[in-house]
Amino acid sequence: MKQEIKISLPFYKQAYAVFFIVILSLVRGVTYSDEIGIALEAPMAVLAFTFCADTYTQEIVGRRSEIWRLYPMKKRIRSVNRRIVIQEIFLLSAAGVGYGLFFLFQNPGTADIGQNGLEKEICRFFVYFAAVAVTIGFWGLLSNVLSCLFRNMWVGIGGCLFVWLTTNSSIGDRYFGAWNLFSYTFRKLENGGDFSWLCGKMVCICIGIMTVAALPEIMEKRG
Amino acid sequence: MGMKIEDLTVTFKNKVTAVDYASLEIPKGIFGLLGENGAGKTTLMRVLTTVLPPTGGTVTLDGILYNKGNYEKIQRKIGYLPQEVDLYPNLTVQECLEYMGDLSGISRQVCKERIRYFLEKTSLSEHRKKKMKQLSGGMKRRVGLVQALLNEPEFLIVDEPTTGLDPEERIRIRNLLVDFSEERTVLFSTHVVEDLAATCNRLAVMKKGKFLYSGNMKDLLEQAEGRVWICKTAEETMARKLEKNYIVSSKQYVGNELQMKLISETQPETECRSCEATLEDAYIYMTHMVQ
Repeated sequence: MKQEIKISLPFYKQAYAVFFIVILSLVRGVTYSDEIGIALEAPMAVLAFTFCADTYTQEIVGRRSEIWRLYPMKKRIRSVNRRIVIQEIFLLSAAGVGYGLFFLFQNPGTADIGQNGLEKEICRFFVYFAAVAVTIGFWGLLSNVLSCLFRNMWVGIGGCLFVWLTTNSSIGDRYFGAWNLFSYTFRKLENGGDFSWLCGKMVCICIGIMTVAALPEIMEKRG
Repeated sequence: MGMKIEDLTVTFKNKVTAVDYASLEIPKGIFGLLGENGAGKTTLMRVLTTVLPPTGGTVTLDGILYNKGNYEKIQRKIGYLPQEVDLYPNLTVQECLEYMGDLSGISRQVCKERIRYFLEKTSLSEHRKKKMKQLSGGMKRRVGLVQALLNEPEFLIVDEPTTGLDPEERIRIRNLLVDFSEERTVLFSTHVVEDLAATCNRLAVMKKGKFLYSGNMKDLLEQAEGRVWICKTAEETMARKLEKNYIVSSKQYVGNELQMKLISETQPETECRSCEATLEDAYIYMTHMVQ
């Protein structure tokens, strides 16, 4: 595990992720605390698919993939999955810290203070955290599987960027509605009891499971 | 038992044939694979390491036929050091080898013991806590060799392991390959003739996807015997004429004269004497004059 942490989280990756979160929390304006999740979800997706694109393709770039071919598939998959989990835990922690930084830098309005306000804020954070966990997981897995399929991290990043631009738009919202990958971002803030956005997160989970299932076959065929 | 290759053909989607009906037997010990860049050596090795499926022909390792069903069995018997591999720069030598040992399915305790043994053999014990990125090119190549040996392979394949190394490191790598060939088959691919001259008794010469020669070094040298000539000339025009009409395997100025080594079936039309063929001369003779 120690080796996988060092391989998948080199210093430059940690640095650009932290830099990204800090800058975002400084420049993306929010008025109320319930806007923080909207401000963070889509940028975190960009960070996730950029971060995870080289999870396996670094073996190709380093010319180690031909050595990897000699290893049992179970071990190869286990190692790639561990790398994904390590990176996503790091990104999830960054997303949590980012939420706090918005409070620190922008002091957004918390409308409900005084009437169980703290509980509501904590609850709001956990809902955000669950949604962003699914988002990070989905985009990380998608990016890795596309990169493996085309043996090129830039195709992984480019493919994800295309899906991101399509779904994170008014057209995406209009076409997919509650089933959109960014349903949490496009949810109606004024209707706090509406959880129809969970449908979009279910889509993310289903596609994510499919990418995990497809990875051994892709690695076997593409090397 | 060793490896047996029969009528092996590899044709890519763009119709380029990299290996063309090649047949070869590789016995136990160190076996050299010599050929110019683009001869098909790396493609052949990619087939032997199961990375690339052949288009035609058969390959067997210790009697096991290369096919999808047997790949896992074959992969357990193979160690591979690709050309210019970049092993995890952020890991220490020990961590890198432990990680690769774990990936190849060796138990942790056995892996540690083997790492200790091979690091000692390759004079890397004192560097085991250094990060991979801090090592010299030769040291990295030695670590690469150790990773290829961790699963105690019966068949070790090394692709141009001495490229870009200083003379001392090249000698060290060559000697290690000889040591490691004691109990296994080592396929040593290179385009550096002197590396093979110093290590192998048996070799194959490859050109344009075919084997021009396969056998022992002595027989190869004998084939070139009587076809290597040394001549000296002080005239520029004569030198140009010889260069145009014959294959020149080497030339150097000796005093005011230019001494040239020519490869020719018959005595060149100038004053010259026959000389003993080196492996380089034999290789040049084989690749340029034998069809």
